[in-house]
Amino acid sequence: MSMRSKQKKKFSFINLILYIILGLWGITTVFPFVWVINNSFKPSREVINSSFSLPIEFTFENYANAFDNLNILVAYKNSFIISGSVTIAVMIIASMMAFAMTRYKFRGKEFINSLIIASLMFPVFSTIIPVFRMMSQANLLNKPLSVILPQVAGNLSFATVVLMGFLRGLPLEMEEAAYMEGAGVRQVFTRIIIPLSKPALSTVAIFCFLWSYNDLFTQLIMIRRRIKYPVCALLNEISSKYGTDYGLMASSITIIIIPVLIVYIFLQKNIIKGLTAGALKG
Amino acid sequence: MIYKKKSPLFIFLLPGLLLMIVFLYIPFIENIMNSFYDMTSVVKIPGKEWNFIGFDNYTKLLSDPKLKIAIANSLKMMVLAVIFQVGIAFILAVMVSMIKKGQQIFRTVYFFPIVISATAIGLLFKLFYNYNGGMLNQLMLALDKEPINWLAPELAFIMVSIPTIWSYVGFYFVIILTGISAIPEELYESASIDGCSRLKQVWYITIPMVRGVMCTCITLAVTGALKVFDLPWVIVPKGAPQGLTHFLGTYMYEQTFLISNIDYGSTLALIIVILGVVVSKVVSRIVKPDDNL
Amino acid sequence: MKKVKRLLSLILTFVLVMSLLAACGKDAKQTDTDTPQNKVEDSKDDGGDKSGEETTPDQADTPNPVTLTTVSMHGGTDPNAENYQAISEQFMKDYPYITIEDDSQSADQDWKTKVAADFAVGNEPDVIQYFTDANASDVLAADKFVSIEEIKAEYPDYAKDTLLAALIAAQNPDGVQRAVPTTGYWEGLFCNKDLFDQYGLDLPTDWDKLLTAIDTFKANDIIPIAVSLNNVPHYWIEFLMLSAAGPESYTSVPETAPEDWCKGLEMFKTLRDLGAFPVDTDTIDNDFAGELFKNKQAAMQLDGSWYAGGIPDQENTVLCSFPVIPGGKAQPGFMVGGISSGFYITKKAWEDPDKRDAAVKFVMAHTNSEAVTKYWGGNGQAAAKVEPIESMTSLGISGLEYSSAATSISSPTDSRISQEAYNTLVAGIVDVSTGARTAEDLLNEVLQINAR
Repeated sequence: MSMRSKQKKKFSFINLILYIILGLWGITTVFPFVWVINNSFKPSREVINSSFSLPIEFTFENYANAFDNLNILVAYKNSFIISGSVTIAVMIIASMMAFAMTRYKFRGKEFINSLIIASLMFPVFSTIIPVFRMMSQANLLNKPLSVILPQVAGNLSFATVVLMGFLRGLPLEMEEAAYMEGAGVRQVFTRIIIPLSKPALSTVAIFCFLWSYNDLFTQLIMIRRRIKYPVCALLNEISSKYGTDYGLMASSITIIIIPVLIVYIFLQKNIIKGLTAGALKG
Repeated sequence: MIYKKKSPLFIFLLPGLLLMIVFLYIPFIENIMNSFYDMTSVVKIPGKEWNFIGFDNYTKLLSDPKLKIAIANSLKMMVLAVIFQVGIAFILAVMVSMIKKGQQIFRTVYFFPIVISATAIGLLFKLFYNYNGGMLNQLMLALDKEPINWLAPELAFIMVSIPTIWSYVGFYFVIILTGISAIPEELYESASIDGCSRLKQVWYITIPMVRGVMCTCITLAVTGALKVFDLPWVIVPKGAPQGLTHFLGTYMYEQTFLISNIDYGSTLALIIVILGVVVSKVVSRIVKPDDNL
Repeated sequence: MKKVKRLLSLILTFVLVMSLLAACGKDAKQTDTDTPQNKVEDSKDDGGDKSGEETTPDQADTPNPVTLTTVSMHGGTDPNAENYQAISEQFMKDYPYITIEDDSQSADQDWKTKVAADFAVGNEPDVIQYFTDANASDVLAADKFVSIEEIKAEYPDYAKDTLLAALIAAQNPDGVQRAVPTTGYWEGLFCNKDLFDQYGLDLPTDWDKLLTAIDTFKANDIIPIAVSLNNVPHYWIEFLMLSAAGPESYTSVPETAPEDWCKGLEMFKTLRDLGAFPVDTDTIDNDFAGELFKNKQAAMQLDGSWYAGGIPDQENTVLCSFPVIPGGKAQPGFMVGGISSGFYITKKAWEDPDKRDAAVKFVMAHTNSEAVTKYWGGNGQAAAKVEPIESMTSLGISGLEYSSAATSISSPTDSRISQEAYNTLVAGIVDVSTGARTAEDLLNEVLQINAR
């Protein structure tokens, strides 16, 4: 009896330390968020001169300016069309590739693996111009597809590498059993692999969405029509050669990040502990 | 390796490889060819020819002092990223997996720095470091000390590395945590019935089970370090002070878009990819991700 | 085989979804932007049919609906963005059949690259307000602009308000006039006069006074000169070289570094060693440096005429002509300034009979006296005859006096040499100021790149 209570006490002490450490790190990560929102209510000069204090006088001017710059609702829609398609496409294609790369042995596997790893490194600045020309020849400029295709290609290697990591860790027994019982590869893939890797797929989806959504560079090279602008184009409006409006920057960033946080909270429900444990039992 | 029939393989690989070849490899090969020309504009303007300059850009690489700094910094960043980014992320992920309440909150808030664009994080740190009236120097004044130029040549690299590393810990945290959540709960239950301490559980269960994921993270950290670009660029543009904080990513961007030396930028892109492939090969020799298969 | 088929169908479904998505995007695009153009074509057809039968005079006068794509540098937080939009909106009210699709952005290096790429692949707009000097060389190389002469042959009123001198100032490096300018600018040394008065100093009209001011301010914990050598050393490069070499040598484009240019740039090191620049001049942003000046933490700043509008203390800030450096060949009162941008009509618009007229009207609406008065607003120089502004601040008056008293006006270095060369020069300034590199070495590299 005394043993147990002692152990319990010790555990709650450890728990307290855990919470303190986790909380401290949490403070550092929440701070920028609060800081951005706080500064979005200040005029630009106040941001530079006293960014760490509360606004002297709350102003909504920055938000009004941001709404003047872009039709925000249309811009959200444009962003979601692009980033949503990118995310879905990457998840499907990458899980297929990862499955092939971890469950098969074939000639040239090492080579394809190198291709995937190497493409992780391709700086977007070095591939964008030829892609831009390709798109203009195919008459796709200013259309969502001109952003979607290169972004899918760009995020594919990351997604494949992460999914390969997860698939390697998945126990093979279930697949083997199913395969022995006569299930086809397609069934194994859609009925076993996909459900099992739901947490990993969600993780990949979050990052693909985020990168596609925040990728101002590719989006603005391919899309020049103001009415076609994605929402992150707001950041393109904050400066001129005469300087940057930092208040406007803060309000634009607030407008930009809100939907991402919603998507994240929505997707991360899938990363729940014990999902695979349940599947294994069954 | 249970699937004997190879035919589905092509269908699994084809769409992905096709996309990568068309949108990454073909443009990149074009990029390599461009590095042999003196490019006067990003796209060849009809009627204007570029001069063939052979290996000029490659000989320039050898004598470019800023490139040496950039490579050294990128390599340093790789080591720091593996140790601190992946390391801290792993510790945090294990800790979060141990607690019962509030997991969701930590998962959400650790993600914030990745969501908020580098423009804002960069400005935040600039305002921390600012010599005149920056937050750190206000603290120094409050402590009755002389203000410090936080971005002076001898400090700058550290000061830029801190936010760069910190901002992406959440990324690896999410990936590792996903890996940890794939570990069956029963393993921990039986271990704790056997009287195994939590630390031992981490050592004997968690670490072996997330090995594949950790290898992935290390590969991503190493390659990510080579591409480091936006935060350093916002905090200390153009490798300021005096080019000492240049990374391969920032140096390439400066050459391509600020100096408009596009062909040299293309050459640097090739160096980034080659270096990345070599380093990730070395890494995979060391960590052997395929071992447990 | 069955499995393969199933897999194939899976992939096909995916491809279908993708193409559907693409189609959706396309549809949306068409409804959004192509419709007006389709309409144009439709109505053209109608017109053709009618003219085939019999045209009533009324119908012939009704112009076809036109959509003009326009691009200007008055985007983002550019002070003239509002004026530009207001004029465009008024224009659409005056000509209801013309729709303007504007994609203005503030001009930076990335944007220039994008515009050049657009021109190279045939994605150029109908009307663009863009640089006229060497900054536009990429775009000019595509040869897609119509010259003013050609336009005037058909529309004699085109650019009628614009001053002849301004048109000449805005001609392209090949000597052809294509762009109609609205305003020009000058650059000058802004001084916080109250700080000079407080320490009993004279304005830095000659070099000795500048040195005294630097010493005194330094001793009193005031930053003498607010500048970011890493971010925007441009103005200092121009004035130091001009001061040392004089307008004639400064505006030449030699093959190797002239001694005077080197002497000018070496002054960066002298000033840095004197402690004239902020401690963090290697890392500070230009905006932050500007704040130092506006907050009276710094005494002097070299900047352009556009900078005047953002200074809160309009009473005690004055402009002062730049001192001649010891042994410099320039006459006192020299100044950097000019006209560097204007409205162009592209051949694409000119060759389309409907757009031709609309484009000309659009440019005229932006470049007539009334519009130029708005753009000018008392800052810099106006490219057309303008009414003087009544309520000018004392800083505004000081700027006007400074610029009208100039003994020589030289256009900046980047209007003459290639962008790659100029950018190399800007990137090398920090090294020159620390002594890590000699000015001669840097200038030789720059001129060599330019000569290629």
